[in-house]
Amino acid sequence: MRTLRLFLFGIPAALLVLLVAAFVNATFLSVAKKNEMSIGTLGEPSTLNPIQQADSASSQVGGLIFNGLIKYNQNLEIVGDLATKWELSQETTFQFATEEEARKANFTLGTILTRPLPFEDTLQGNALILRLKEPGNKLSEDLLGELMSDGHHPLPFPPLEPGGKERPFKAEPIIRFTLRDGVRWHDGAPFTSADVAFTYRAIMNEKVASPRRSDFDLVDSVETPDPRTVVVRYKKPFSPALLSWMTAILPEHLLGKLDPARWPEAYNRAPVGTGPFKFGEWKTNEFIRLKKNPDYFLGSPWLDSVVFRVLPDPLTLQLAFQTRQVDFWNVDPWAVKGLQGDQRFDLFSAPGNAYNYIGWNLRRPMFQDLKVRQALAQAVNVPQMIKYILYGHGVQSTGIFTPQMWFFDPLVKPLSHDPEAAKKLLDEAGWKPGADGIRVKEGKRFSFTLLANNGNEVRRDIATLVQDDLKQVGIEVKVEIYEWAVLLKRFVNKGEFDAIVLGWGLGYDFDQYSIWHSSQTHPEELNFVGFSNTKVDHLLTDLRQEYARPEIIRLAAELQQTIYGQQPYLFLFVPEGTEVMWKGAYRLRHPGPDGTWIDEPVHMTKAGWSYDMEWFYRPEYPPTAKANSITR
Amino acid sequence: MTSFILRRLGLSVVLLFIISIVSFFIVTLTPGSPYPWGELNPKISAEVKANFRKKFHLDRPLHEQYALIMRDLFTGDLRSIKDDRPVMSRIMERLPATLALNFTAILISLSFGTLLGVYAARNAGRWQDMAGSFIAFLFIALPSFWISYLLAIVLVKGFHVPILGTHSYGIEFSNPFAAGLDTLWHLLLPATVLAIGGIAAQSRYLRATMIGTLREDYIRTARAKGLAEETVLYKHALRNSIRPLVTGIGMLLPALISGAVIVENIFAYPGMGRLGYEAVLERDYPTLVALNFVVAALVLLGNLLSDLLYAAVDPRVRLE
Repeated sequence: MRTLRLFLFGIPAALLVLLVAAFVNATFLSVAKKNEMSIGTLGEPSTLNPIQQADSASSQVGGLIFNGLIKYNQNLEIVGDLATKWELSQETTFQFATEEEARKANFTLGTILTRPLPFEDTLQGNALILRLKEPGNKLSEDLLGELMSDGHHPLPFPPLEPGGKERPFKAEPIIRFTLRDGVRWHDGAPFTSADVAFTYRAIMNEKVASPRRSDFDLVDSVETPDPRTVVVRYKKPFSPALLSWMTAILPEHLLGKLDPARWPEAYNRAPVGTGPFKFGEWKTNEFIRLKKNPDYFLGSPWLDSVVFRVLPDPLTLQLAFQTRQVDFWNVDPWAVKGLQGDQRFDLFSAPGNAYNYIGWNLRRPMFQDLKVRQALAQAVNVPQMIKYILYGHGVQSTGIFTPQMWFFDPLVKPLSHDPEAAKKLLDEAGWKPGADGIRVKEGKRFSFTLLANNGNEVRRDIATLVQDDLKQVGIEVKVEIYEWAVLLKRFVNKGEFDAIVLGWGLGYDFDQYSIWHSSQTHPEELNFVGFSNTKVDHLLTDLRQEYARPEIIRLAAELQQTIYGQQPYLFLFVPEGTEVMWKGAYRLRHPGPDGTWIDEPVHMTKAGWSYDMEWFYRPEYPPTAKANSITR
Repeated sequence: MTSFILRRLGLSVVLLFIISIVSFFIVTLTPGSPYPWGELNPKISAEVKANFRKKFHLDRPLHEQYALIMRDLFTGDLRSIKDDRPVMSRIMERLPATLALNFTAILISLSFGTLLGVYAARNAGRWQDMAGSFIAFLFIALPSFWISYLLAIVLVKGFHVPILGTHSYGIEFSNPFAAGLDTLWHLLLPATVLAIGGIAAQSRYLRATMIGTLREDYIRTARAKGLAEETVLYKHALRNSIRPLVTGIGMLLPALISGAVIVENIFAYPGMGRLGYEAVLERDYPTLVALNFVVAALVLLGNLLSDLLYAAVDPRVRLE
């Protein structure tokens, strides 16, 4: 009886006392802020092995632990990271029937071309090998033309992929990386070219199941002539390949002898990298804590630690920001206005790397007429969408690239909202208003189904506004909402739909072959609208073979203009992202381009507000003189 | 007795087998596929996708997939599609936090519920009873996400108290005791929200049986003997009213490890509910099948335990 009553009254009493004590403790007794940056994320990283993940939560954490060979600087130019230098060249091989013919061909090239020659030449049996200073097919094709016009006919090479075309010559681009000296892994082992070669082998290893594998498919070999040099040889010109070396490099001495099946346990949750922060602790669904790497090759970071907290609920993430439990907050568009005038916060806004669109299924007769697609684009009021769906925080999309990308063409202007022009275009295309107000052509009403996925409010709202806008010009739209998985399986992958609201978020890659090339229209491929245009096909292939930055920008602009002119999608808008920080909570002291340290407030750059986040510091823990004296 | 237990265990194995089949098919026949890198990702080639499907046996027919999942479950080789780690270690790492949360919640609901129930029964028909009923029904009616948000907003905006996760971040505590109190604080809040429904249910339940018991002859006898009212209530009446509860303890077994999706999400508490919820969203079939299996096993075990306890407390019951 005593025990029962003790339980009955004792426990509630004890709980109440504890509650009060804990409340008082949490409210008044918390002391000493740590020199720690706290970042809240809605999703949790799946793994910290950078070659086994592709989600943003994982790469955000991995970005502080690892380095690639190269990286983007704040102006989105490529600069060295673990590599200090990289040289591009190419070996082009012409093959002849006899040694004699090869020798003659070489002689011809030597006489007809102006000096200095854009290549070095070697004869190897009946093969003429030219070492070009720049990769790409263009020069090789010119040389081939010279040879042919002079009566030399090189033998073809077998195609690279089964069923492909024979090639008149073999063009093998080469990237030669010179690695940074004195870099050490977090466990003290030296970083060498063997690590780079190992990372490549790991990505290609089927047991690793790396999502990055397709980036390295065209690599022929990775050689390491010495510990500071890596030579990568490709099977054919493919310019996006250089960007793939931004991939984080893994430690060979830890993983080389370990079966990939054991990586998830042994490495992926406690990785060792070369980056400014070392892995500290990971509590699933709670937090990942990184500690500063005092031996980082650019010098020790100013912060003691960085903690990534998993806060799955957007409202409580906001509360955590307001109580300074996390330092940054990614704000929804509707809430931005309320914060803009607030002196307590710093706001960083920029258009994101994603755009929303409506894809017209070009296999449907009604969407095959360009005039109709233009009319649809002019009938839909995109500025109004931006105003009501994004609360003004977005810009109208002008095609396949978003404004933040370095190859974006700002001269492409969006089609204006003009329902009268739209009506005229529809009249011209033969769609005349019918008895019920809906346009008719050859007895068929202009009526189609617009699909969107469940749970995405932005896309649902787009569908509703489009429905209304198109009704004004005499087009009937039926909106249907499906679960994402169903939408993909039943409609998108099969290419069986009329029109669909979707979005692309594509990063800084100019290669959009898989989305727009006419060879990519089969089931489960990404050109699911069935777009096919010879000019675009050529541009896409040329772009993949072009290595020079100005030339890439020119071709990309032409691609953007051409596709926008064809209106295979109704390009809608690029939403703007806004990040909030407590005013002055962090400053930035980071290495400038000339090797000096620059101290400045956190600000927006082309590469985003969080560029060089490893060099953020809290003003109450200013960078110390000792750390400051470390040179690059 | 022994034969009863053996028979029940045998039956449980058959049931578990059927449950595992049903849960496997419910899980795998849901639209969607467990693909961690997004279906529409231009960076992922068809070859990589195929390789991934092969690795997790997703290219096999469903019945083979089921057999493989079951084989791996029993050999301990079953790996999550999300991070390729053994499913059992993913479940086990949630266990301490989940047990702490559910144990506290059960403790709160039982103790406060019993007090409230006895109080209501004692004052049956009077205004105290009405008030108690009102509170109980209010507690049952309030959705937990609403209370959680309300609590979070009031505490955070009004008092600037950290409430998320299992402890406060970015601050150093002067001593381990303060740090311990901080952890406790983070545990008590979600536990209280979880317990609210339980308090109400337990109090209503107890009130009903207690009112019945208080009308019994032996209560009148006890009072006539001149026993103190407290003794009558807590020794004679409560002990006899609490019996159904004792047998219900078996059902607490699965409740101890089961998760609370909404509360865990809002308070960012790392429990079993979030593991299951995220596995559903990611179509992480191995994790889902394993979780279902473990919970089903505990339910069956709990049922058996209930029956045994029932026989133990009530001598009139015989297990045959």
